[in-house]
Amino acid sequence: MMLFERIGTFFGLVFGLATDPLHLAILFGSVLLGIIFGAMPGLTSTLGVALLTALTYGMDTDLAMVCLLAIYVGGTYGGSYASILINIPGTAAAAATALDGYPLACKGEGGRAIGLTTTASTIGTIVSMLFVVSISPIISYFALQFTSFEFFLLAFFGILISGTLTSPDLVIKGWIAGFLGLFLACVGRDLLQFYPRFTFGFSELDSGVEVVPVLIGAFGIPQIIQVLKDRFQIGEAQKLQRIIPEIGTVVRNVPAIVRSALIGVGIGAVPGIGEDIAGWVSYGTAKNTSKHPETFGKGELKGVLASETANNACVGGAMIPLLNLGIPGSPPAAMLLGALMLHGVTPGPMITFEHPTFIMEVAAILLMASIAMFVTGLLLAKQVVKVLRIPTQIFMPIIGVLCIIGSYSLGLNIFNLYLMLPVGIICYFLTEMGYPIAPLVIGVILGPMADENLRRALMVSQGSFMPIFQRPVSLILFLIIVLTVVSQFDWYRKIKDRAMQKIRNRKDTCETILEENDSER
Amino acid sequence: MMDKDKLRKADIFSGGIIMLFGLWIVSQALQMPMKDSYGGVQNVWYVSPALLPLFVGAMIALLGGMLIRTALKTVGLRGLKETLGWLTSSDLARYLVTPALFRFYAMIVLFFSFVFLQIPHIDFFLCAVLFLVVFITMFYFDDDTLLKKFLAIYLAGTFVLLGFFAFGGTASMETMLPYAGDWLTLIFIILYCLYAWASIRGIPALHKKYRTALILAVAAPFTIGPIFKYFLLVPMPKEGVVVALLDAIRYWDF
Repeated sequence: MMLFERIGTFFGLVFGLATDPLHLAILFGSVLLGIIFGAMPGLTSTLGVALLTALTYGMDTDLAMVCLLAIYVGGTYGGSYASILINIPGTAAAAATALDGYPLACKGEGGRAIGLTTTASTIGTIVSMLFVVSISPIISYFALQFTSFEFFLLAFFGILISGTLTSPDLVIKGWIAGFLGLFLACVGRDLLQFYPRFTFGFSELDSGVEVVPVLIGAFGIPQIIQVLKDRFQIGEAQKLQRIIPEIGTVVRNVPAIVRSALIGVGIGAVPGIGEDIAGWVSYGTAKNTSKHPETFGKGELKGVLASETANNACVGGAMIPLLNLGIPGSPPAAMLLGALMLHGVTPGPMITFEHPTFIMEVAAILLMASIAMFVTGLLLAKQVVKVLRIPTQIFMPIIGVLCIIGSYSLGLNIFNLYLMLPVGIICYFLTEMGYPIAPLVIGVILGPMADENLRRALMVSQGSFMPIFQRPVSLILFLIIVLTVVSQFDWYRKIKDRAMQKIRNRKDTCETILEENDSER
Repeated sequence: MMDKDKLRKADIFSGGIIMLFGLWIVSQALQMPMKDSYGGVQNVWYVSPALLPLFVGAMIALLGGMLIRTALKTVGLRGLKETLGWLTSSDLARYLVTPALFRFYAMIVLFFSFVFLQIPHIDFFLCAVLFLVVFITMFYFDDDTLLKKFLAIYLAGTFVLLGFFAFGGTASMETMLPYAGDWLTLIFIILYCLYAWASIRGIPALHKKYRTALILAVAAPFTIGPIFKYFLLVPMPKEGVVVALLDAIRYWDF
């Protein structure tokens, strides 16, 4: 009965969205804006969500969620346009799409490729939406049993795994970025004793560092500087013919689509990683499991299908830890967390009590956003592609102004700008030196949760860390953290290789003995 | 991102900076109350506000040290000596004036002057127009010689504005000329545009780009600004002559 109730609530919410002209207009407008943001190299869906957070600050929460989720969904999909037409990913999420999308466009099948990415992205988003609805109650149930130690370890794990998997260079750099984010989160008066930490006498820092301006600075400023300093030029786009939805191709590849969607949801659910990793892992899996891997990279439709289904499935996957645990599954989800907190919604295990239908609303918005993305993609792709002709030297300065006024508008505090700009410049240098920014952002977001829960946990246990080893979830999280750290060192890999070799040798010896016994009989 | 070899050499120095930063965090955290009472609360180590900063600082210092070690293992002491040699040679001076770095300096000057000097003192619309007209003309023309010229003239104008606001120009001229800072900025914008036009007058290929730059530099703030001011009801950081004029038009109050 409860299942039917939930289904009824869900379709009621969808019907409410679909029949409200204002919600529909904002939905389609935000999806279109997201597609444009995704299509333009140098702009990201994270930056789009950040800028729209500032614009939607004064709106109702449900309207703001429609805007933000729609631009997230559209931005993740929009990256495929530049990947296919100019061989430059519009966003990191669409990097794998370029490998087969661009060769298809060169063969005159650009319209077919975009039709396929549109269909694949829609399916990916819808599948992930189903997981949000079905898995959330289970995770919420377990999360309600969590104590402060579990939340501290979860936050710490999120920062660590984000640093491990997103670092383009050494893993140490990813961890350093995560701890720098934790340091930024320490700035301000602490929550338990109100002692000023690293405020240097500035009263504006008493309440800590404002998350959204810092994130805008961390993502926006380095992009603007990199694109203009390196004189990034968008090349001539391939011609785009009729956009065909490719339903037939999709139907013939249902197992591959389901696999890609599962990969996307799974990777999205891991804190801080994001759509780019989902796209690559899915593409790699599709290639390795294909009967003709040599066709990949030369215009193989399955390659495009795999990466686009996974990267959009990652959107819903990232919502699962965000809504149920308060831990963002990707950088855009981290921005969403900041936006939700601004609107007075605190994601976490209590969300089903404080806002009983919130998760259903998110799922309904994801469904409607995927339909809007499908329609907009098929009808307006040829017009959106024209934005690729706008020189970066024109729109990047305008984005700079938007970043600045957007940061100011949250709190009407010029001090936010004084903070945003130096953070942005430092993040630019960090990016140039091979440090990832996602762990820094995750650290800023999860830092307060880690700080508060660590001290609360120790207060309850009177300074003892033993509960970590006495509670099963804490112990598992602790072991995963230790394994994540230790597996990056050479000595661990050598021990592991030696152990695996010994096991293989013993297995061979046993097999030999068994064969000899059989032959004697 | 830099290439791997240069990256490892740079990692030695960035690792050092990070390690020092971590140690600084630890030193600051050790000054926080660990045992005494603060705010009426008796402290023990696990309730101390220093707990997480100590952990974070120690980890940053440790990871900085590990980074230095990894970098030295890759490039060796020879790599370190080569880098130190490069830093003390004339190659560094040559590197600091490469076109790519000049573009970087230009952006830093633009952003910092916009945020720290113009936004708090000048009408937002005017400073946004100034920011965009300079930014777009510097980069859209795609000419490093022109970029240097425009940067020089922009720096000169910025110093004039800085002097004007630093010596209390606005307050002293308020009775004679309200919004004196805004009028000065408007003169600066006009002079800059005239200078830019004079610089590209002999290059017909740039005329259309110049017109596009001017149109966008004016259109963008006058599109974004009213959306924030009148639709989202976000007051501008500094409301001066242009906002007063827009308000007069909006509310028909002349």
